[in-house]
Amino acid sequence: MANSNLPRRIIKETQRLLSEPAPGISASPSEDNMRYFNVMILGPTQSPYEGLGSWRSPSTSSCGVVETGGVFKLELFLPEEYPMAAPKVRFLTKIYHPNIDKLGRICLDILKDKWSPALQIRTVLLSIQALLSAPNPDDPLSENIAKHWKTKEAEAVETAKEWTRLYASGA
Amino acid sequence: MGLSWSNSRRRTTTFYHPHPPPPPPLPPYYYHPGEAVSLLPRHRIKITTPPYNNHQQPPHHHHNLTLILHTLHLQPNVGFTSALPIQLDPAPFVDHQNAKRIRNDVNVHKDTLKVEIDVSNPDHFLVSFVFDALFHGSITIFYFAKEEPDGRFVPAFPEAHLPVKISFQKGLGQRFCQPSGTGMDLGFFELDDLSKSSPEEDVFPLVIVAETNLPDDLTDEHFDSMPNTLRHRQITQAVFEKKNGDNFNVRVIRQILWVAGVRYELREIYGIGSSAAEGFDDSDPGKECVICMTEPKDTAVLPCRHMCMCSECANELRLQSNKCPICRQPIEQLIGIKINSGDQRG
Repeated sequence: MANSNLPRRIIKETQRLLSEPAPGISASPSEDNMRYFNVMILGPTQSPYEGLGSWRSPSTSSCGVVETGGVFKLELFLPEEYPMAAPKVRFLTKIYHPNIDKLGRICLDILKDKWSPALQIRTVLLSIQALLSAPNPDDPLSENIAKHWKTKEAEAVETAKEWTRLYASGA
Repeated sequence: MGLSWSNSRRRTTTFYHPHPPPPPPLPPYYYHPGEAVSLLPRHRIKITTPPYNNHQQPPHHHHNLTLILHTLHLQPNVGFTSALPIQLDPAPFVDHQNAKRIRNDVNVHKDTLKVEIDVSNPDHFLVSFVFDALFHGSITIFYFAKEEPDGRFVPAFPEAHLPVKISFQKGLGQRFCQPSGTGMDLGFFELDDLSKSSPEEDVFPLVIVAETNLPDDLTDEHFDSMPNTLRHRQITQAVFEKKNGDNFNVRVIRQILWVAGVRYELREIYGIGSSAAEGFDDSDPGKECVICMTEPKDTAVLPCRHMCMCSECANELRLQSNKCPICRQPIEQLIGIKINSGDQRG
């Protein structure tokens, strides 16, 4: 297994992700491939992707979050060249967003030409979380969703909320 | 201040310069002696321009940090050079070049610079700051002073204020306070004039010249090889700003260093404050190379001056994107910077 000669950077990043997770983000490596991470991102508040239930109440346990929605699953893979090359990240949860296509691929510059080896798994996931707060229909990956967003934004946001309810329930 | 530049320059060229051919495009470095002692995690190393000095001086003070610099060669990589003709230009320096250090005998801590009202002389403002000096010397305060091509400063309005020169004894972390009665009535000037330099950047509202006397402590071993004409001068050029009310703020625009007749402009290296100056335990995210997150960072990128990598990753990056990991500017040069405290050096 390639895990035996895992670069020290990946081990450290993993340890830090587990010991000090970023708010609303969890990432844990797969047992049989330490370069493959199961990721969960909570939809940011004030966005169409936020959880819709009682999870924001301080008295609610984190289990409540998972049951009420706004939880997006992603997969993240660190290629052999990482960190000289960007991680490969994809949404597994269906999401209605102009910069994310139906296969879950993400249009985000830091995952492409703006990648820098100073970025990390944590910063990549925070950027994706930020992308949920700030959809950019001017640089679309899903033409139809982008068009919808630009012509009837309120309606597109409603669809995004509906999809969040339907698919991002965390169940 | 008619220092014998020509003497010292001649001496420097013949004595110190290990490379007879024209100057390598590698900026020399410089650090603050006092900060090195008292503020290990915060000490600064500065890049200086123009880059044509090549000093090698032994550690001058056993408590101080010594700074060893070597360049990581960017040139001799065959595949890469053939792809980029510009790289074929013969490199005047090679891998692991000798250490380059510039010692600064006198240093004004620019972040401590303040002006305050002279209580016994209202309307007038007095300059104060903290400085380090390894030798006795003097500080001269100029208001609206012009830098002459030979490095001297002359007041642009001698009728309004003459330079104030005050001697000091050697010592680190000293506080300088301009004597009461020698201050300047800043209200005399338009705020607009106080808050910027002249368009040519040769007149600044506030200029502080700190210089050492001729070294008198010649028993120190390193002076054996040092001409007596070596007098260090550090010039701090600043403007006055008014934030709220009547308080003026001083903002330093530039610091210049004259060493052995050579003028250097000081630039900070970003990220060096959190480099592994004092031990490295592999668990401090600020000290580690941003790429491998394992080795201490010891390499700065030029021209952007981000110190963020270890030398191995820096060389690797050269072959990959060749962009600074922090700001994505193209890398023109990599500078290895090793910092050890003098008494730990192997």
